[in-house]
Amino acid sequence: MIKPLSLFILLFSLALNLQAANLKPFTANTATPALKLNDLHGKTHDLQDYKGKVVLVQFWATYCGPCRKEMPSMNKMIKKMGDTPFTILAVDMGETEAEVKQFVKEVKPEFSILMDESGKSISDWQVFAAPSNFIIDPAGKIRYTLFGGVEWDSDELINKLKALASN
Amino acid sequence: MNLKTLISILAFAIITTLTSTNMALAKEVKTIEAGDTEIDIRIFPAPGNVLLLGFPCDEGKSIAEEKTARSLAEDGIEVWMPDMLSGFMLPKVRSSLSGISTEALTAIINEATKTGKKVYLIASGPDTELVLRGASNWETNHKNTKLSGAVLMFPRLFKAAPVPGKAPEYQDVVGKTQLPLLLLEGERTPNRWGINSLSHELHKSGSPVKSKLIPNVRGYFFKRQDANRSEDVVTSQMAGLIKVSLFYLQENNTHD
Repeated sequence: MIKPLSLFILLFSLALNLQAANLKPFTANTATPALKLNDLHGKTHDLQDYKGKVVLVQFWATYCGPCRKEMPSMNKMIKKMGDTPFTILAVDMGETEAEVKQFVKEVKPEFSILMDESGKSISDWQVFAAPSNFIIDPAGKIRYTLFGGVEWDSDELINKLKALASN
Repeated sequence: MNLKTLISILAFAIITTLTSTNMALAKEVKTIEAGDTEIDIRIFPAPGNVLLLGFPCDEGKSIAEEKTARSLAEDGIEVWMPDMLSGFMLPKVRSSLSGISTEALTAIINEATKTGKKVYLIASGPDTELVLRGASNWETNHKNTKLSGAVLMFPRLFKAAPVPGKAPEYQDVVGKTQLPLLLLEGERTPNRWGINSLSHELHKSGSPVKSKLIPNVRGYFFKRQDANRSEDVVTSQMAGLIKVSLFYLQENNTHD
């Protein structure tokens, strides 16, 4: 018979596992692909320049329902991260500036939207789902992946990213 | 002519029209023995010399597929839709594909070729693995006869989730057939950027491979609950899209 404490520990462990299923540790021994793209204002962003920060690299598109839904939570995430060295580079997948600008007007993301009309970065990063998310550590290594939408301002995710920044 | 007579005549005309339409579109269900099981095949007969064999694996529930099959049959293309999942008592989940025996796939292809028509295969998403597996095995045992080609809609043939910076790994069946292949992909899906890599791998065994992007649609657009206007339009024109695909397979068997 399972004692109440054992049952609690079991359920707690299961709950932790379920939550942890959001961010998947990236274990492949590969170099982080390059990412150098212009944002909507014409400014060039190079992932290499963000060393020392945790970076959320997200590949998204305006036609992607979950992307649209989760973007407000990414705005809240930036606020919750506070002084933690952190940035978001959200790469639009192959759409036109006109399409993306209309979306930005509606959703008002408070982070950099990078444009990749040629799709080169999408091939380099082997993106096969929208949204596809990659968490980069301060040393520039991919540490976690997450495919699909999520509420980015959850305490669990924020704590995990803050811990990564302080490592 | 009084109103009652007019209504009777109209009712008779409507019933006659509906009956004749149903007759023209009538489908047959054929059961074939395939290895250790029996597979029901929905057949949309047509008098032409082309037979399209689809592996929808949806237990016959997709209205779009049924409507498309009827439309193709009206245009002279016979359509066969085997119910593979029920044949193997498998649920509609991706992992069920491995439970479908190659022997059964080959038996169905064999049955289709007995009609003497030009046989083309079609599937979408992960079900495209069934087409490649069946065709590859069939080719091994029929060196002197050829299938005419296959349409792979939104092929999802990764062995595992692709890794950034590393070439994708495909399922073992990729690059095993010489069947002419036409790949269709939505313009609005990240998989469109993987189509060249997949085409290259499929071509390694000698398959002539062509690929086409369908403008303004996402992957699986014809199965989506949240389909937009473009996707609704293309879904309604699916039969035309397939006919154009068969045309490409007939006329353009060269690798891009």
